Amino acid sequence: MNVVNCQKVSKGFQRTNALEDITFQLTDQKITGLIGRNGAGKSTLLKILAGLTKHKSGEVSVFSENPYNNLMVSANSILVDDQMTFPDSLTLEEILGSAPDFYKRWDAQLASRLFQYFMLDFKQQHSKLSKGSKATFNMIFGLSTRCELTMFDEPTNGMDEAARTDFYRALLKDYIAHPRSILISSHHLTEIEHLLEDILLIHQGKVVLHQSLDEVKEYVVAIQGPIIDVERWTEGQEIFHSKNVDGQRLYVVVKNNSKLERARLEGAVIQTLPASEVCMYMTSETKGGIDDVFK
Amino acid sequence: MIINTDSTKPIYVQIAEWLENEIIAECFMADEKVYSQYQLAELFNINPATAAKGLTILVEEMTLYKKRGLGMFVAPEAKMMILEKRRNETLTKMVTDIVLEAKRLSVTKEELIQLIHKCEEEI
Repeated sequence: MNVVNCQKVSKGFQRTNALEDITFQLTDQKITGLIGRNGAGKSTLLKILAGLTKHKSGEVSVFSENPYNNLMVSANSILVDDQMTFPDSLTLEEILGSAPDFYKRWDAQLASRLFQYFMLDFKQQHSKLSKGSKATFNMIFGLSTRCELTMFDEPTNGMDEAARTDFYRALLKDYIAHPRSILISSHHLTEIEHLLEDILLIHQGKVVLHQSLDEVKEYVVAIQGPIIDVERWTEGQEIFHSKNVDGQRLYVVVKNNSKLERARLEGAVIQTLPASEVCMYMTSETKGGIDDVFK
Repeated sequence: MIINTDSTKPIYVQIAEWLENEIIAECFMADEKVYSQYQLAELFNINPATAAKGLTILVEEMTLYKKRGLGMFVAPEAKMMILEKRRNETLTKMVTDIVLEAKRLSVTKEELIQLIHKCEEEI
C-alpha cells in the first residue's frame, strides 16, 4: 500500500517555485531519507504532507486522502520540526499527558522513559526550553505518537553529538519493534545513512532520485587519470562533476555504465562514492566547484 | 565489528562479509541458526532491510539456507565454500593487479611468466 502519493505537486511562494511537478510514492513501513540542499523544498514538501500548508496544483494523498484540513490524516501522522508549538499554559508533563487524547497509539511508557533518560524537567514550559532540549522534547513526542506516518524535519538541529546518536538509535530500535513509515529530512546524509532504506533526493523543487540507498551508491562513479584518457573514457556521457587535479590529470564523476569496464582495463582508477557525495554531485549547480571562485 | 557507512563498500556487503567471517571462525557452526535481520539491525545499528539484503546474498550463494518460519541456518558446506570463494576472488584480483602493473612497466607477457617461474623455484 502507498502511504503517500504525490502526482505533479507544485507549490509557489510569491515569486519563486518551491516545488515543481513533484511525483513520488512512499510505500508502507520504510525509513526514507528526504535529502536536498538548502532551499531545495524539503520543509515545504513535509508541511504539505502533514496538511499544514496547501499545495497549488497536482494531487497529494496521504492514506488515500487529501491531507489538508483532514482530521484522519492529522491523527495518524506527525511532523516534528523546530516550529512545533505547544500551549504555554501546560507543563511538559501535561503536554505528554494530553497526547493520548489525540494520538490513539501513544506510548506513554516510551515517552516517560525517554524523558527521564534525556533528563528533561517535567515542570518546564515548552517555550522556555533551550534549543537542544526543545529538539529533544519534540523528538520524544514524535516517536511516542507511533504515528503510521512519522516525519522529522532536521530533527537533530541544536542537539549535541551524544543526543543525536541516542536519538537515531532510539528511532531505529522503536522502528524495529513497531515498523511504520518514517520520512526524515537532513542535509547531513552521512549522519542518517545507516538508518535509511530509501533516499528521496530533491533539488530546486524537483525529484532527482528516488531509489534504495544501495542503488544511489552505485549510481555514479569517479574516474581519475590523464586528461586525454579520461576525456576519451567519458566521451558522450553525462558528467556531474569535473575537476582538473594538477594540470595533467582529471577527476570526473559520471553515471555508472558498462563502457567503463574497458577504461578499468586500460588502467583507469574508478571508484564508487559514499551516498552523501553522490547526492552532492547530483545537486550541484555548476560543473565546476568552489575552486572556480578563486581563479 | 563496526559498520563503516562512509566506505564505498555497501553496508549489506559488509554484513555478508561479517557473517562469512563468523562462519570461518566457527562462531556459527554448520546447521546452526544465524542472526535474524532484526537482530543484525539492532547489533549494527542499521536498517533491517539492509540487514536482510546481506542475508539474501548468503542465501543466494547457498552459504545459508532458509527454514520457513524458523530463520536462516548455516549450510553444512558453508565454511569450505567461503574459503574456496575467497581464494578464487583474492587470487584473481591479485593477478589482475600484477598484470596491470606489468603493463605500466612495459614488462612483456613472456618476462612476466618467467618471473613467476623464478619465484616458484625460489620458494
